[in-house]
Amino acid sequence: MDIEEKEIAFLTVPFGPQHPASGHFHALMKVDGETVLELEPHPGYLHRGFEKLMEYRIHPQNCVLADRLDILDPFPCELGYVNAVEKIAGLEVPKRGRYIRIIMTELGRILSHITWIGVLSMVLGFDSANKIAWGDREKIIRLNEMATGGRIYPCYLCVGGARRDISQEFVDETSKALDYLEGQLSFYDYFVFKNETFVMRMEKVGRMTAEEAIDLGATGPNLRACGVDYDVRKDEPYEVYPEVEFNVITREEGDAYARSLCRRGEIAESISIVRQLLNNLPDGAFRIELSPVWAAPEGECYFCLEAARGEKCFHMVSDGSPFPYRVKVRPPSLSHSLVQFPYLVKGNTIADVPAIYWSLDPGPADVDR
Amino acid sequence: MIKMGYLSDKFSRTFAPFGILKNLFKKPMTLQFPYESLPPLADYRGRHALDLEKCAGCFICSMICPNKAIWPAEFNGRRYPQVDLGKCCWCQLCEEYCPNEAIKLTPHSMMVTMDKESAILGLGEEGFVPRHK
Repeated sequence: MDIEEKEIAFLTVPFGPQHPASGHFHALMKVDGETVLELEPHPGYLHRGFEKLMEYRIHPQNCVLADRLDILDPFPCELGYVNAVEKIAGLEVPKRGRYIRIIMTELGRILSHITWIGVLSMVLGFDSANKIAWGDREKIIRLNEMATGGRIYPCYLCVGGARRDISQEFVDETSKALDYLEGQLSFYDYFVFKNETFVMRMEKVGRMTAEEAIDLGATGPNLRACGVDYDVRKDEPYEVYPEVEFNVITREEGDAYARSLCRRGEIAESISIVRQLLNNLPDGAFRIELSPVWAAPEGECYFCLEAARGEKCFHMVSDGSPFPYRVKVRPPSLSHSLVQFPYLVKGNTIADVPAIYWSLDPGPADVDR
Repeated sequence: MIKMGYLSDKFSRTFAPFGILKNLFKKPMTLQFPYESLPPLADYRGRHALDLEKCAGCFICSMICPNKAIWPAEFNGRRYPQVDLGKCCWCQLCEEYCPNEAIKLTPHSMMVTMDKESAILGLGEEGFVPRHK
């Protein structure tokens, strides 16, 4: 009996943009049974055109706008923008201002990573860990509120320093919050990172080698999890990073579990950096007063910094007017969710897709801008 | 032969979930909103307040506002700024660049309204008068 040849039909399954595990990121997966054959990312659901908007706004307004580049990690966006302007103008920011900036940026890194622990736990089915992590996130949000007046959008940094000074009360509250979070880290170790189910879901999943990671444009913890010792804070130090001591957390395995442990290690390093800066906080001025229509001189610069998700770069051109002529942002999540994610999910099961996606920690707002 | 380490590991894993029972004697992490809520701190950026005597009518606030949420309005024969809270992004630039410290952001954070008109702050003898609940 002849067996009829049937055309093999593959199913196309959408991932996002209203999926709880995707954020506002959309992708189409071609699946064969449970195995993902191909993944096609469709970004753009959060595109707001910030790079163009910035050309029509003066610098104080652009600092407010820069917050929205990455909602979960706003401080590095502001820091990158103001540093690019200061680099063109050759402004020397007071030392206290620089310290305040890095304290808030490192607190922002802890905030971003704790949020990530919550989301990753949620997509893996640990709802309790999600609730606990988001409860701990409130500690840092309260510090943001105390220092900046805003909980999610700080609108805090400005060209020439920071917009507000930090008080002794803030320093005390920060020390208390850091002590609490340091204690919580051992809890997360027990509850999440050493949990048998978590390890089984994450180990040997989405593995890439160091060469692959470099070719795919990985930066930040995703690159360091593959054994590449590269951190902008150490290799091209900016602001006051040369004055603080910290370790660059690297792992060799390059899988989802190694990426998770890298981020967990970075929380501890950030806590140590904030403590060092708070202990050596200098007195004096914290900002240079500039007119709102202050214009940077004609020039061009490229500035890179280490955000929570990876290397964030700003390319700015100034034509001598109060508006920037052109601002180009290179977000870390762009390569994470558009290049590495489709590459890593090939051959994995559908159940592993959220685990791989969140082990890369991309921000949809960061991708689309 | 079963090792002691294996046994103690199994024992701690078996009884670890019961550690959750201690939460019965703890305060809950959440608050029963709207009956109770976390009060905003003193420096929180909330609803605007205007000092009519200090305001010189220079409208620097209107020019610096990134969202164009502030525009002039007539009151008592003079022009004062008026704020649309629906457009405001709470960046505090109006307060920062006001030369007379006339416009300020207060810690009022509860602003609920069902229509666009009542999101605009009205003007009264004491400065801004909220129209929302």
